[in-house]
Amino acid sequence: MNQLQPPQNSYQSRVRVHVIRLFRWSAAWGGTCVLIAFGPRFLWNKALVFTLLTVGLNVCVGIGAIVAHKKYLGELDELQRKVHLNSLAITVGVAMIAGIPYSIMDSYHVIPFHADISHLVVLMSLTYAAFNLYGTWRYR
Amino acid sequence: MKNRLKVLRAERDWTQAQLADALDVSRQTINAIETGKFDPSLPLAFRAARLFALRIEEIFHDEDRRNLATEIKSGASV
Repeated sequence: MNQLQPPQNSYQSRVRVHVIRLFRWSAAWGGTCVLIAFGPRFLWNKALVFTLLTVGLNVCVGIGAIVAHKKYLGELDELQRKVHLNSLAITVGVAMIAGIPYSIMDSYHVIPFHADISHLVVLMSLTYAAFNLYGTWRYR
Repeated sequence: MKNRLKVLRAERDWTQAQLADALDVSRQTINAIETGKFDPSLPLAFRAARLFALRIEEIFHDEDRRNLATEIKSGASV
């Protein structure tokens, strides 16, 4: 039997580091989104300077989250990257196909409520998660 | 594309996780290659060939090429 020596810096450990980093950046971005949503009303009484500073912070942390996601994808192996690429492609397609008619329906008052951007974000998140799970199951 | 990865791994008594570590990929990728659900890239095929000390074509077989060879032979005989 020819024994294999496990590598010092294995694929799994490298990916785990990037997953943790991505989680931290995403959580921080989510935190700044909550701050933008509720801060002006409950924390600084709609003071413009604080609102603009929070928006700036949100954008900076958001860029950090994008970079962390890009680095995470770069660390994945070819099959995992293929799964993510498929999920991202379907997510972009669904966002385009669902988002534009949704917005038009709002413009012509076909739907009885306002077409909020958050609905599209939720749809994209669910689509991405669902097709990632499907890809993982398909190649399990 | 067919391959002998599972046989070669079993001959050496390696687990999928050990082979995955040695090739710097996930265990899921090894499983997908072994079951023919996913074809590896050329760099990964080279890494596998180096690890098993074999040539790439001794591990991976292109089925289409075999069919093409059979078609050429049958065409030549007509």
